[in-house]
Amino acid sequence: MDYFLQNFPQQLVNGLEAGSLYALIALGYTLVYGILEMLNFAHGDVFMVGGFLGAGVAVLFVHNGVASIPPALIVALMVLAAMGGSGLLGVGIERIAYRPLRNANRLAPLITAIGVSLLLESVVQVQISPAPVLVPSNSLTPQIVFQVGNIATPFMGATLFVAAILLMVGLDLFVFRTRFGSAMRATAQDREAATFMGIDVDRVIVVTFLIGSALAGVGGILFGLRFSTVNFFMGYLLGIKAFTAAVIGGIGNLRGAMVGGLLLGVLESMGGGFISSQYQDTFAFLALILVLLVRPQGLFGQPLTDRA
Amino acid sequence: MSAHVADAEPVHWLKRFWESGPYEWNRALTKPQVLFSLLIVASAVPFVLQYVEDNSAWTGAEFWIRILTTCAMYACLAVALNLVVGYAGLLNLGFIAFFAIGSYAYALVASDQLHHHLPLWSALVTVVAVTLGFALLVGIPSLRLRGDYLAIVTLAFGLIIREITIDLDRPPVLAGHQFGPSDFNLTGGTAGIHMVDPLQLPPWVPLIHGAALQSRTYYWIFLGFLAISVFCLLRWRGARTGRAWVAIREDELAARAMGVNTFKYRLLAFCTSAVMAGIVGLIDAAYIHNAFPGSFDIQGTVLVFIMVVLGGLGSIPGSIVGATLVTILPFVLQQLVLYKYVVFSIVLIVLMIFRPQGLLGIVSIRPRAAMGGTVELLTAESAIEASELPAVTDRDAADLESASGAIVAPEPKP
Repeated sequence: MDYFLQNFPQQLVNGLEAGSLYALIALGYTLVYGILEMLNFAHGDVFMVGGFLGAGVAVLFVHNGVASIPPALIVALMVLAAMGGSGLLGVGIERIAYRPLRNANRLAPLITAIGVSLLLESVVQVQISPAPVLVPSNSLTPQIVFQVGNIATPFMGATLFVAAILLMVGLDLFVFRTRFGSAMRATAQDREAATFMGIDVDRVIVVTFLIGSALAGVGGILFGLRFSTVNFFMGYLLGIKAFTAAVIGGIGNLRGAMVGGLLLGVLESMGGGFISSQYQDTFAFLALILVLLVRPQGLFGQPLTDRA
Repeated sequence: MSAHVADAEPVHWLKRFWESGPYEWNRALTKPQVLFSLLIVASAVPFVLQYVEDNSAWTGAEFWIRILTTCAMYACLAVALNLVVGYAGLLNLGFIAFFAIGSYAYALVASDQLHHHLPLWSALVTVVAVTLGFALLVGIPSLRLRGDYLAIVTLAFGLIIREITIDLDRPPVLAGHQFGPSDFNLTGGTAGIHMVDPLQLPPWVPLIHGAALQSRTYYWIFLGFLAISVFCLLRWRGARTGRAWVAIREDELAARAMGVNTFKYRLLAFCTSAVMAGIVGLIDAAYIHNAFPGSFDIQGTVLVFIMVVLGGLGSIPGSIVGATLVTILPFVLQQLVLYKYVVFSIVLIVLMIFRPQGLLGIVSIRPRAAMGGTVELLTAESAIEASELPAVTDRDAADLESASGAIVAPEPKP
């Protein structure tokens, strides 16, 4: 019991850190599912591409000895490149691989999504690097460790959490407070009726992919800066975990994805820390199954659509 | 319709066949005599390859027989998956886990891992019982869920099974408490289980001499299992069970209203497909003398899904064609070395965009929004040309409206 009490706060912090990353990626799954009712399996790989874009910018500036540029500017450039690049990639994927199949059977877009995922992974593997690429995060971020009592978290861990929360709040405001946000919600509720109301559904879908993918891109950068490395298969397991988080929170529900992500992170870290680190992933998936069996619509609130 | 053909100048039968569309292709390909001839041709291939190798400088017979064996194995899996996805419309994303369970169950009762060497029939019974147990364990709670949620639960199940096969090479330690003795090793971890017994076939089986089975024997075994599966599936398709599956796939609510016990039939489809995958796992473990977790990644499920969807949902010949294409394509693209998966994924995307229903697909050609029946249900005999139907006139419409209380719109006059 002593062991538990002593380690609980640290595990909680670790869990929130991992969970905020899950939540960032889960938002992309949930946005697309809410609007298109489609499992976008390529989303994890968009996250990976974002990580690589950021790493590319970082390596370019740091290794070429452009020491005069302040690290903050480089990080800003990384974020810009990754958000823009991933966002455009997401829009491109939608345009090429999903839009022609919007009215086909459910499985066809699932298969093209898997195809796109395989394509992104193999292109990055062949063209960029089959081995992990190091991100020079030492020279870009302050190497501080925040220490409160016996809880410690590195600067990037805290940044990851704060950035994720800020982005989620921003997205929430966008979806629930703006005119375009209400167009998105209308499209999610009933695509056809939204068309009758004069909403340009295609534009809504494009913007949805843009936002979801840009968030994944930011996630990729934060991942790279936190763990100092990116690899071509990192989108796979993280993507599945994020998807799990989205489902636990209630797929199609934005706030659910955020809570689901944080919850999954904490759950995993608790299970790994106190029960068995060997079965950490198993706990995540078991939690998913249990949640679905007890509450198929996910844990929190109403789904964004009432079809799910 | 036939009158038109007679009037026109004679068309080559191949051209006519090509133009008859996927429904007719499926019908032609599932005729017993066609299937039987195809089976005989497929069985003869190893002899032909051997003959060519013996009489020329070519030495690729063994290589190609092994590829064909892989094709046959994947065809078995694709047909089994098609039963659950194509027939019953259940998205089982944990499909490959049942293949893994079959493999491991056989490896555990027929290797030095647990020092059991059961004869084939007892091993088969064990494998069937174990996969059926797991299928019921997953199926009973999750088949009450709707479409996509079932997919997610089965996906999670597949991932858990994979984790467990990797982790059970040492005693599980939960909350500081160790379960089982220290030398506990069930699955062999990432290395898997080696030295799995080959199949012990009874001596009266023809073409098998000596203890060591050659790869071509496994080719025939897979082919035999494929033939049995195809036979069963085609028989079920026309029977009450198959019709119930299709009804559930098309509209679950309507099927239930018609008195179909949807849960029972979904569970039946789920379990049958799982057991089929388990048996294929058994044969595969015996063939490669191994059971290791590398082959049971989610990529495995994805691969079989690609085969089924590429070939066409609900089409048995389609599944076999899909399995063959997807297995052989990487070998054909071998020269591209690194780019083989780049090309493979592009081919996949392009094919799906231009033929979302698959090469021989007949299911759900209509968009989701306009559900309410598929082309498959309109057989060639029952399909009536629209022009042959009497047009609904204003008077008919008025009669119908007064009779039914519904609003019937007359067809616009040309």
